[in-house]
Amino acid sequence: MTDRPVPTARLGKGLVTFRKGRYLANVAIWATMWVMPVIPALITRAFFDRITGEATTGFTVATLVAVMVAYGFARITIMVFGMWNDIHLVFRVSTLLRRNMLERIFELPGAQSMKESPGEAISRFRDDVDEIQESFAWSIDMLGLFTFSAVAAWVLVGIDGEFTFYVFAPMVAVVWIAAAARRRIKRYREAAREATGRITEAIGEMFGSAQSVKVAGAERPMIAHFRRLNEERRTVMVRDRVLTSALESLFWNTISIGTGIILIVTAGAMSSGEFTVGEFAVFVYFLGFVTDAVFFLGLFIARYQQAAVSFRRMIELMGDGDPLRLVEPKALHLSGPLPEPDVIPPHFAPLQRLDIDDLTFHYPGSEAGIDEVSFSVPSGSFTVITGRIGAGKTTLLRSILGLVKTDDGTVSWNGEVVADPAAFFIPPRSAYTPQVPRLFSMTLLQNLLMGRRDQEEQILEAIDAAVLSTDVEDMAEGLSTMVGPMGVRLSGGQIQRSATARMFVRRPDLLVFDDVSSALDVETERLLWEQLFRDRAGVTSLVVSHRRPALQRADQIIVMDGGRVAAIGTLDELMATSPEFMAMWEGEPS
Amino acid sequence: MIPVRAYWRLLRHYLRPLRTRVITLWVLLLTGIAFQVVNPQLIRSFIDRALDGSEPSELLGLAAAFILLAVGHQALNVAATYFAEHVGWTATNEMRADLAEHLLDLDMSFHKGTSPGELIERIDGDVTTLSNFFSKFVVHVAGNLVLLVAVIALLWREHPWVGIGMTGFAVVAMVAMIGMQAVAIPWWKAVRGKRAEFFGFLGEQLGGTEDIRANGAVPYMMHRFTEVHREWLPLEVRGRFGFAVMWGTSIGVYVFGLAMVFWLGSALLSDQAITIGSVYLVFHYTDMLRHPVEQIRTQMEDLQKAGAGIERVQELFAARTRLPEDGHRSLPTGALDIAIESLDFNYLDDDSDGEIVLEGLDIEIAAGRVLGLLGRTGSGKSTLARLLTRLYDPTVGEIRIGGIALPDVERDDRRARIGMVTQEVQLFRASMRDNLTFFDESIADDRIWAVLDDLGVRDWVRTLDAGLDTMLESGSGGLSAGQAQLLAFARIFLRDPGLVILDEASSRLDPATEVLIERAVDRLLEGRTGVIIAHRLATVERADDILILEDGRAVEHGDRASLAADDSSRFSGLLRTGMEELLA
Repeated sequence: MTDRPVPTARLGKGLVTFRKGRYLANVAIWATMWVMPVIPALITRAFFDRITGEATTGFTVATLVAVMVAYGFARITIMVFGMWNDIHLVFRVSTLLRRNMLERIFELPGAQSMKESPGEAISRFRDDVDEIQESFAWSIDMLGLFTFSAVAAWVLVGIDGEFTFYVFAPMVAVVWIAAAARRRIKRYREAAREATGRITEAIGEMFGSAQSVKVAGAERPMIAHFRRLNEERRTVMVRDRVLTSALESLFWNTISIGTGIILIVTAGAMSSGEFTVGEFAVFVYFLGFVTDAVFFLGLFIARYQQAAVSFRRMIELMGDGDPLRLVEPKALHLSGPLPEPDVIPPHFAPLQRLDIDDLTFHYPGSEAGIDEVSFSVPSGSFTVITGRIGAGKTTLLRSILGLVKTDDGTVSWNGEVVADPAAFFIPPRSAYTPQVPRLFSMTLLQNLLMGRRDQEEQILEAIDAAVLSTDVEDMAEGLSTMVGPMGVRLSGGQIQRSATARMFVRRPDLLVFDDVSSALDVETERLLWEQLFRDRAGVTSLVVSHRRPALQRADQIIVMDGGRVAAIGTLDELMATSPEFMAMWEGEPS
Repeated sequence: MIPVRAYWRLLRHYLRPLRTRVITLWVLLLTGIAFQVVNPQLIRSFIDRALDGSEPSELLGLAAAFILLAVGHQALNVAATYFAEHVGWTATNEMRADLAEHLLDLDMSFHKGTSPGELIERIDGDVTTLSNFFSKFVVHVAGNLVLLVAVIALLWREHPWVGIGMTGFAVVAMVAMIGMQAVAIPWWKAVRGKRAEFFGFLGEQLGGTEDIRANGAVPYMMHRFTEVHREWLPLEVRGRFGFAVMWGTSIGVYVFGLAMVFWLGSALLSDQAITIGSVYLVFHYTDMLRHPVEQIRTQMEDLQKAGAGIERVQELFAARTRLPEDGHRSLPTGALDIAIESLDFNYLDDDSDGEIVLEGLDIEIAAGRVLGLLGRTGSGKSTLARLLTRLYDPTVGEIRIGGIALPDVERDDRRARIGMVTQEVQLFRASMRDNLTFFDESIADDRIWAVLDDLGVRDWVRTLDAGLDTMLESGSGGLSAGQAQLLAFARIFLRDPGLVILDEASSRLDPATEVLIERAVDRLLEGRTGVIIAHRLATVERADDILILEDGRAVEHGDRASLAADDSSRFSGLLRTGMEELLA
């Protein structure tokens, strides 16, 4: 775990200033809500003055009742407005955090964007965002309370400066306790958050592979494992909560002892006549508010540490880079017209030549990867990358496309080095089908287009080219069929071909297939290559495969071995020169 | 709204094993409530005495008692927090595990309809809202009700009119609050539903970054993110309005109570029915009523959230599997024969149009034989594999394994004796060992090593940093697809099945590794029945029998050697196209 300092205050400031108007309105409303209870106290005093006959002028009982009712209405109105403003504010803040995190994750190299599993990451999108939302709401209460206790302090000093000092003395102790407990608060909270992350991760994985678990008959051991994780979380959670509660109690005790002392001192002053009964009553009344403020201050310091933990976890998810991006203001479009997603503009440098030079990448903390890979892909060529298991074929594709962050080497497009491959290798320059492609829970059409607005003919042509037409015709609702995890089940081959169609629709210059044949039968694969050569002759293809139909069509074959290029050449050349290739070719039956 | 009985059943079920702790907690909480009553009394008498000009020593004693009580109260609070958290987490943990177990036992049609991200929110998020309900709800509501009744009884002592007025006040207050709560529950349920939907969406996005990134779909996915949030915001606003309504009711009740004291007090005073002192007392008690009413309100607010959670949890518990596990018979030892009788199947769920996936299958496979299953994508091969492992039951007809109808076989026995390697290999972010054993701690390392040896990957695993303790990444990250496939094999090898189904088992392996695996598969199939599903003919070379499926029907079934020899068979046709390709 990196212990990068988290600029909690600056992050918090970013959130506070995100919707300044609403924030200020919220502070004003809740400060009012804190101060308002003074009114019924005054009404009550007037009432008793009236009925005891101390005050013969002023309000009648009927007026006081009316004022009381009016107060009730006013308080409810302000509260409802405050709630409305508050939810709009905090929801926007949470949305901003989630948005910035997701956007950043999409920016990171796609194949290694997160160290965390999706299930674990979800806990950061959920619990940590909730935590910040809560702390954020607290900051509003804090400000309101402080405004009020400043007023109270001013009143109290007017009565007696020395006694006021005693009132505020416990604050020093409370702040000191909170500061002393800082590390512990942080540590406990981190442990609690991590334990929650493991729970969400376990649920995600368990249900993400429900079929494997069922077939393996592993339901009971899996649940036993889940129970163990739950137990672990309980231990750390109880510890975290008890610490918070113990701190609360310590704060209250400090304050209570302070109050006790003040009572004794003021009582002495009162009997000696320094203090009038009226002054004493006001003193005691405001004392309650000041102690509340001191108490909340203590809790807020603790809360601040917990917010720091949540900020750190969110920033971790976002990889390296400026932590302040987490709170960078963005237009959220939560109301008003929703702009259509950006359409990527056409590019003006059609591929003539792709050069890979000394490309090197190793998975962090691992030997696996590729070393000093160099080759060129001319425009319109069909290049096949082949090799044994673990030879680095997929890693090579990922390194070229910027889906991993390479250690060394360059990729050049028409002789120009690509500075940021991840941002560069997207349609219409290139498109990619991973070895195990993913479809999302939406209609097949939405999955193919993902925001594009192509003509129907072009879509149908892409579907046809991907040998998917028959499948679509067989689907009850055709292109409107819901697919993905929550839709109808597609076979592995159908998913592969849907992903291929998704790539074709984008009409890129460079098509990148990672082992598209793995889920296709021989005939379907042959058809796929045939149509590719017939209808997309000008397109450049970069393909990982060890199947003969692909190798036979290749303009050049890159043979990978142990992360390095073992040989480059056409089928005939390699058959004559590369023993590694020959061994594989013989091993491949059809 | 959920009947009270349902709440009660839940409480009884999950709190019974925690009886001692729950009782301790209740005692602590009730003592805490009593403290709340005593503490203000102490301050009041202190003020009274101070004003009377009592002895400083007496005042000192009172102040000391005040401090002592306050400290005691706080100690009590910490203890109560400990027990409440303990009880809350233990009970909800139990519920989470029960729920996860129940859901995992549901058939695949359920799992196809829900995303793991959504289940995270439902199993963890929704259940967590119940923590307070389990630990504090009953005692807080009950304790504060007692307090309420006591205060009202005191008020009756002052004057019958005051008693009637305040009783009416308390009743109105409670009815109003409970009524409001019923209104707000559906609003909260809607919020939780939306949250779950969002996390489902998010889970898919996080799992598919590579696809999204490389196909330029980031703007679109962010657009969908915004769409979900646009639908979510109004629900949150309405949910929050539910809270505002509850709080508003509480303010209204308070104001109404004070107004009543003013009116009643001044009226009775002018009739000289009560003294000024009594008016003050009535005022004081009415103010005291606020606390229990407020407490009950907070608890009700919590119940709103919990109620929405309980409803959603109960919905999940109510989901029934279409594959009840009530078989009690055990499969015979050794290789298992298979008999498929006039089988029809369709996926009969909301998404499917009832289209037949498999039709009229009648197949027998003798024990120890290996069946090669061929057919184009979508011909029903994978579906047949799912039926053989009873991930689904046939719509019509039956499957008998080892002479026993599949539903009659006891579950654990079936899972142990029928093994399958699926197309997709799912890895957990856990150690290599846990990935191989599915977290079954009863499997010894020696056995794992023996299996890895069999597979020829012993050396590879040995070179990993921490051997079996090496942590793997989620999905297939960290390992190549081929390596993941090898682990999937090891998972099967660890059991001793009598029937092995290989679904596209070797499709993603490069030839060199395939040789390794095929040797291992040969060993695995020794003395076992096998069903091998492959698109490639090479994989079925070891098959004794061949079955070709087309659009869900068996179009050819027979002995491989004789089919190969028969020029008019589809199988020999396939062999020829394969050969042509080889020669081309």
